[in-house]
Amino acid sequence: MYLNQFLLLSAALFAIGVYGVLARRNGVLVLMSIELILNAVNINLVAFAAFGNQLAGEVFALFVIAVAAAEVGVGLAMILLLYRNRKSIDLTQIDLMRG
Amino acid sequence: MLGQYLPIVFLIVLAFLFAALSFFASRLLAPRSPNDKKEAPYECGIIPGREAPERFPVRFFLVAMIFIVFDIEIIFFYPWAIAHGEMGLFGLIAVLVFSLAVFESFVYLIGNGALEWGPIRREAQTGDVVSATRTTSTTVSRAGIRQVGLEGRTGGDS
Amino acid sequence: MIAALTTPYVAWWALVPLITFAVAGFLLLTVASLVRRLPAVLAPAWTAVAGLGVLLYLVPMWSRVGRDGADSFLAGTVGVDRSSIFVTGILAVAVIAAALISRDYLPREDLPGVELYVLLLMSAAGGVVMASANDLIVLFLGLEILSIAVYVLAALHLRRIESQEAALKYFLLGAFSSAFLLYGIALVYGATGSTNMVRISAFLAQNVLVDDAMLLAGLGLLLVGLGFKVAVVPFHAWTPDVYQGAPTPVVAWMAAGVKAAGFAALMRVFVLTLGTYVSDWRPAFQVIAAATVLAGAVVAVVQTDVKRMLAYSSIVHAGFILVGLQAATDRGNSSVLAYLAVYAFLTVGSFAVVTVVSGTGDASHGLDAYRGMGRRHPALAGVFTVLLLGQAGIPFTGGFVVKLGVLAAAVDGGAYWLAGVAMLAAAVAAFVYLRLLVAMYLEEVPSGTETSGAVPLGALVVAVASAVIVLVVGLVPGPLLDLARDAVPVLVAG
Repeated sequence: MYLNQFLLLSAALFAIGVYGVLARRNGVLVLMSIELILNAVNINLVAFAAFGNQLAGEVFALFVIAVAAAEVGVGLAMILLLYRNRKSIDLTQIDLMRG
Repeated sequence: MLGQYLPIVFLIVLAFLFAALSFFASRLLAPRSPNDKKEAPYECGIIPGREAPERFPVRFFLVAMIFIVFDIEIIFFYPWAIAHGEMGLFGLIAVLVFSLAVFESFVYLIGNGALEWGPIRREAQTGDVVSATRTTSTTVSRAGIRQVGLEGRTGGDS
Repeated sequence: MIAALTTPYVAWWALVPLITFAVAGFLLLTVASLVRRLPAVLAPAWTAVAGLGVLLYLVPMWSRVGRDGADSFLAGTVGVDRSSIFVTGILAVAVIAAALISRDYLPREDLPGVELYVLLLMSAAGGVVMASANDLIVLFLGLEILSIAVYVLAALHLRRIESQEAALKYFLLGAFSSAFLLYGIALVYGATGSTNMVRISAFLAQNVLVDDAMLLAGLGLLLVGLGFKVAVVPFHAWTPDVYQGAPTPVVAWMAAGVKAAGFAALMRVFVLTLGTYVSDWRPAFQVIAAATVLAGAVVAVVQTDVKRMLAYSSIVHAGFILVGLQAATDRGNSSVLAYLAVYAFLTVGSFAVVTVVSGTGDASHGLDAYRGMGRRHPALAGVFTVLLLGQAGIPFTGGFVVKLGVLAAAVDGGAYWLAGVAMLAAAVAAFVYLRLLVAMYLEEVPSGTETSGAVPLGALVVAVASAVIVLVVGLVPGPLLDLARDAVPVLVAG
């Protein structure tokens, strides 16, 4: 096993996540894409920690998971709020403000 | 080495084969004469009086969201539980402060009634799901199915 | 086998501001959850008192750090130096101001009670963590505590759909940028083998990386992540929409508090931790700064919504702060801190006035609402004039002093072209403020606009105090500049 393999996997996940955020119109899918990026980060952190023989990266990954959960909670609540008002979670329809 | 797993692999293949075979066999062999009534959702033989509920109450969503937040706290408790001996008093106090913060949000949720389910609201009845005028024969005639075996009987009601 | 953990050294005296904000928030939330009917004045008063307490406590803390030097504790993950105290002071001021503005805002909009204040205190605690982080993990946690609270704050106006849209936009872009920041941190961690800022900077000072591609990629991603938070130009697109949609007191906090914490983090990460790579990141900072001041100023001129106008003007200010930051010298750092302080007063004051003018519903932000304000509300218009002139950087206001400071720092570092671009942008941006002033004093009140009643006390206090401070700093700049000069950020090993 080489570190590079993990980094490549993580970079691929990151790229997929970024594509998802930019290309998807559904709010929940965008949220899932962001999760994908965060998990790419986790793979990176854990791989670096494992190959560097230290703990900091793994501890960091735990914090990232916790923060991601908090973010998802807030994000889903917001999408739900918007859905109640507009009956849609299509992000392209969020266009009340222009200028 | 891997050879001892061969029976399991064999079994898996057999299981898939059997499932696929029965699936396609029933497709091929069984007589099919679909109509609207047959395609409709099955409700104990009664014609559905209203649409099948698709969206469940948002309340479930709230509970699920609260669950996410409380669920994830375990990732801090678990490492502490593994290493609480080494972490000593400092670790204990740190975890206590953390739990205090978590249960603080619980107090807020309770205080604002986020977990109160309230009196059970009876769903509005649409149509005569349960009523004195509804009998087997009215249901059958509502469905518009050709009645078999009633020829020659007087009346229609049972 | 894990060795038994020795209780780490904790400098409790340095944690008091953080603990005050966090505990004040917790207590307020608990009391509000348990007691049904609270007097409406309790929450804002409580929040303002917490902010004031922190502000007062910072005075002995400041002299203690001056006497004993900077310190770091909790296994070297949290530090205390005068720059973190300075930024904490700015955050405390912003908290007090936002609480005072909200006091009359929430009843006017008929919005429920304490959540705004709790979230405000929590996000202030996050900001304090950011300003005193000595470890990238801690920095990230502080950023998230700050941001998640602000996402919710932005959505707080339940009856304005703009508020919800703004919050969702802010949330999605904010989470996206946090993810970039995290990826950057992960790469820096991989390249240097540590998340501790002290160890990273020591590692980079002692070792020359043969292949620094990973570090540079991490550096770029860090810049993207933090750039989103402080709204510099390629990453600024959310700012006008969010400022326009979010409740106005929240915008005051966003503009003053979040920006201060964000720039403190930028300073700690780039100038202190990655200072050895300054020749790599400085060109990027310079280009971004130039693009930010120019684009912000030009687009601000064509806005018709005052909140959007102020949003673009805050982008211009971010560009100016970056002009000081890219110098990466002590002089540059102190000019950045001074700018952040004056900018905080300018912006909370301005948004206090905007809150008053917006009227019930938080909706009238067009220029029409400001036409003829000089006659309808002479006092409010006068205060707003001072604040706008300060934002424009007219001499004898605090805005001029600090703008001069960042330009001097840039010239000092040899970035003449950047200083030139920034001055040009300041001239363009002056038109924006001029346009508002013309609307207030020279244009007639549009027919059909009812004369609004008395100005609420909280917002008035904030606006007047800000204007006075901006004027005082403009006339007697010495004390603030001395404070900022002493507030040198340093990294100390634990």
